[in-house]
Amino acid sequence: MKKRVLGLMLASLMLATTACTSVENNEEGNGNEITEQTVDNQQDDEQSAPEEEEDTENEETVDYSVTYPVTIVDQAGREITITEEPAKIVSGYYISSSLLIALDLDSKMVGIEAKADKRPIYSLSAPELIELPNVGSAKNFDLEGCIALEPDLVILPLKLKESAASLEELGINVILVNPENQELFLEMADIIATATNTVERKNCLVDYINAQDAMLDAAMTNAEAVKVYLAGNSGLLSTACNGMYQSDMIDNAGGVNVAGEIDDTYWVETDYEQILAWNPEYIIIAAEADYDVEDVINDENLAMCDAVVNGNVYKFPSKAEAWDSPVPSGILGSVWLGSIIHSDLISAEQCDSVIEEFYETFYDFKYSEN
Amino acid sequence: MKPSTISNTVKTNLLIISGATILVALFFVSLFVGKFPLSINEMLGGNQLHIQVFLTLRLSRAFVGVLGGFALGLAGFVYQTVFRNPLASPDIIGVASGASAGAAAGILFFSGTFIVTICSFGGAVAAVLLALALASIDRTGKKSTVVLAGIAVHSLMQTILMFLKLSADPERQLASIEYWIMGSLNGINSHIIAPNTVICCVCLIALVLLHRQIILLSADEGEARMLGINVSVWRLILLMISTVTVACIVSMTGLISFVGLLAPHCARKLTGNNSIKTMVLGGIIGGALLCGADILARSVASTELPVSIFTSLIGAPFLIVLLVRGKDNV
Repeated sequence: MKKRVLGLMLASLMLATTACTSVENNEEGNGNEITEQTVDNQQDDEQSAPEEEEDTENEETVDYSVTYPVTIVDQAGREITITEEPAKIVSGYYISSSLLIALDLDSKMVGIEAKADKRPIYSLSAPELIELPNVGSAKNFDLEGCIALEPDLVILPLKLKESAASLEELGINVILVNPENQELFLEMADIIATATNTVERKNCLVDYINAQDAMLDAAMTNAEAVKVYLAGNSGLLSTACNGMYQSDMIDNAGGVNVAGEIDDTYWVETDYEQILAWNPEYIIIAAEADYDVEDVINDENLAMCDAVVNGNVYKFPSKAEAWDSPVPSGILGSVWLGSIIHSDLISAEQCDSVIEEFYETFYDFKYSEN
Repeated sequence: MKPSTISNTVKTNLLIISGATILVALFFVSLFVGKFPLSINEMLGGNQLHIQVFLTLRLSRAFVGVLGGFALGLAGFVYQTVFRNPLASPDIIGVASGASAGAAAGILFFSGTFIVTICSFGGAVAAVLLALALASIDRTGKKSTVVLAGIAVHSLMQTILMFLKLSADPERQLASIEYWIMGSLNGINSHIIAPNTVICCVCLIALVLLHRQIILLSADEGEARMLGINVSVWRLILLMISTVTVACIVSMTGLISFVGLLAPHCARKLTGNNSIKTMVLGGIIGGALLCGADILARSVASTELPVSIFTSLIGAPFLIVLLVRGKDNV
């Protein structure tokens, strides 16, 4: 079983990596074969499904380059027509900023969200981003600062709908994004890739993510689901319920989210009694939490919880990015979690090699050396 | 003793006994309501998990529910009496906003429930000390000076809180601050309550022992002076003790709205006077209100809800009924 999984994983990795390398080589020679197009989610699905099937066969003949003007529909349902390939991009959201690096667009970025210096992925992959002017955050957006950068395209979180309207009145194109889960992340990637003429690179990223998903599916086919409690960033008693990205991630990794019985789409507060009633086999702490594994192990209220008794308390790695959020590297969260709760099915070495491959391919740095 | 006085005394005693019975009943209900399926048989059979849940979590939560409500109700009575204003509550001199700012600083710069509790307590006490220090600048000793100083400190603490919230990470620290401000007893356990409950109990005993001074302060200032009370000094002492009492509770639970305002109000409406018994009844009503609200907060939904939602939902209609029914005799 283990060998089959490893074989499948290696094959998928090779496929994805080969495709990506060819994208890198082809990117400079993009033609203008696609005429003016309107890309919405439905159309994109229709377009991408046959492409995925024929991907390997037509790799050399399909040209994904975008012809401008192009009209896209963003995640707020607004139509935006972009007349020419954006040369200056501002990203006001860390998830879109990370995607821009993965799409090799960091050199086009002229502004970035607040606290960029707190995100290690920038210093590891594109340190120049830390020096870019900061346009604030969703709760404190610097509208004038953003306008002053004279961007061709601004990518903002959905919460900044009003700021987007103000920017558009000044003729600045704005894409509003809302990557709350994996599906919405992929949708966001489609929209941004179309707007920025990086569809081929995006496909490469999506193929990699799908390949890892398939590997996990195959590995977990006969695995017994492990009970997992995911402790949130804001505190041990905050947890992810069934409508959340993190809950899907636990499922992908062959676990079952003990808080999955709670029907909600955001972090919810629970109590010690509830955790003891669930009695999870593993407690996993969110990557950006202020507390640590030791804090949970030493919490006397959980002394009789199976996860604590057996020392099965782990924290998501945060060396590069928080994998427990819908960032491009989010798939690594499932792989890492799978290697923790099903170490017999996905070894630590396998997990390390997936992580290494991902960052080398899409972020151009060696994860293990940093 | 006149018959009406006797009947009033009997009525008040009956109210206290009824209130205490309801409070005790709610306490026992609270012991057996929660997410963990606690079983008496399992506990008697020596199941360590059930015993631990009962001793460290359930018992302490029920206890803090009762004690916290009692303390907020009693402190509210002191505030309303000292300021001779039925709208006075512990927040009038910035306790709640000080506690919130302290808790926010604790969440932002440290981690751990205990540290946040200490910071919140420190914030509440600092706010009141500042308010009293500002009030002491005006040598006339008017109670309006204390209120104005309290309003100034409240605004200052709100500004600090706003600044801290602005600096907070929206995904984790800001969410924690907001949830703390909403108030909940879900983090209460036997490992963190000891210092606060001990100080709170000492303050409550002191307030009961000082009931004569409290009641005398409800009279006109001139009258109180004639009765041998140094109004300014006793006002500061009683406010300080009440504030520490409230700080002990809110630093553990987060802000609990309405109890400090509503409980003494209800007690006064029921007894029709301003006596030590009314003060105790205010505490009992506060305890029942918070304990009942906490039972609902942890049982009506699949997740914990902020307890203040229920203190307001239960308390407001009760107060309205009392106001409507008792409008002629208040």
